Amino acid sequence: MEMIDRYLQAVRFALPSAQRDDIIKELRDSILSQIEEKEATLARPLSEPEQVELLKKLGRPCQLASRYRQQRHMIGSALFPIYWKTLTASLSLAFLVLAVASIATAAAGKTFSASLAVLSRYPGVALMTFAWITLVFSALEYFGAKFRVSDRWDPRKLPPLVKSDPRKSQFELIAQLVIQTIFGVWWLAGLHYQYLIFGPGIAFLRFGAVWHTIYPLFVLLVIVDLALTASRFAWPRWTQGGPVARLVMSALGLIVLYFLINAPDLFVATDPSTPQMQSLAKNINYGVNLGLVVATIVNVINVVKESVRLISRRLGRVHQATVGG
Amino acid sequence: MNHEVLENLRLELRRGCLILAVLAELRSERYGYTLRKALADQGMEIDEGTLYPLLRRLESQGLLLSEWREEEKRNKRFYRISSDGKLILKQLAAEWKSINASLDGIL
Repeated sequence: MEMIDRYLQAVRFALPSAQRDDIIKELRDSILSQIEEKEATLARPLSEPEQVELLKKLGRPCQLASRYRQQRHMIGSALFPIYWKTLTASLSLAFLVLAVASIATAAAGKTFSASLAVLSRYPGVALMTFAWITLVFSALEYFGAKFRVSDRWDPRKLPPLVKSDPRKSQFELIAQLVIQTIFGVWWLAGLHYQYLIFGPGIAFLRFGAVWHTIYPLFVLLVIVDLALTASRFAWPRWTQGGPVARLVMSALGLIVLYFLINAPDLFVATDPSTPQMQSLAKNINYGVNLGLVVATIVNVINVVKESVRLISRRLGRVHQATVGG
Repeated sequence: MNHEVLENLRLELRRGCLILAVLAELRSERYGYTLRKALADQGMEIDEGTLYPLLRRLESQGLLLSEWREEEKRNKRFYRISSDGKLILKQLAAEWKSINASLDGIL
């Protein structure tokens, strides 16, 4: 049955996300019904070549999945899933490259606005990436349509199964809870007893006032983080626990980042009378500020991504509920 | 080349007929696999990749109703024609008969 699961996994990859579970459930039942009927006729389990033949009759996973998508004119439904994955991966990579370039600019001693200018080129780069990838896939669609898609594919060569259950095991959740508790206590205590965080560095650097101002926010973050993990432990069947936890933490993280970015000094020199110490604090503040800007962008992307994921899952469930799933 | 053209035209010709056949067959409730077998038994072969997306499309158009139920220890999605679907089927069947009669004369 592993080959059937691998086939369904490959189909699932190319299906519209809102209907994935529903379609796979129905396809699985259809395939199993066929197998059962053949096995009843033969009075023995199906051999591997017979399973291969059955899957080949269903067609390539991408072709089968494409039938569930609406027809598109520029890029057809068979190519669309690959186009979409390529586009999102390329846009993410472009962002990563610019973020690294921006940090490198800062490390080279340029001004904060100069390194931000590197990052601000992203919309233009993203537009060009989108245009080129769309152009290439449109060409593939146009010329590819002139060739017959080969029927020579082997279900035995489909990718292996990956863990599809988004729920973590109880052991993983307990380990996560322990690590979060240790980290939370260390962080909250460290904001008061700063040597816990800075170690010997306390002789040179301390937290600025903003960290104490938003201390209640950090307490809230730690409590919410622990509560979310504990609730996933208490309700193991809550499959949306992971995305909900990431969404809530990213949103709370944005509030913290807002206060930190707007603070005059994140870190201050322990001995402000020494010019070297002042310069050190200034450089560290500069680097950390840049990191906070990148973290803000990543958090905004996470909030959008997790919201979209939750909404599409919700829509999928509503669809299933409508049809009695 | 001729074979390819014929295959495309044949598929085009079958497409509309399949909708009619599926709607007619779902006057009694069935799940996908038994529907496919019932159609095949009457000479209307249809593969999964065509049938299941078609069922979804007809359902989204309000012509079919579906429900997940357990049968033979597995959850199956049962389909049946809706009241709107019955009306459409009646009109399509009349259209089919009229086209058929015309084509008999022409051919």
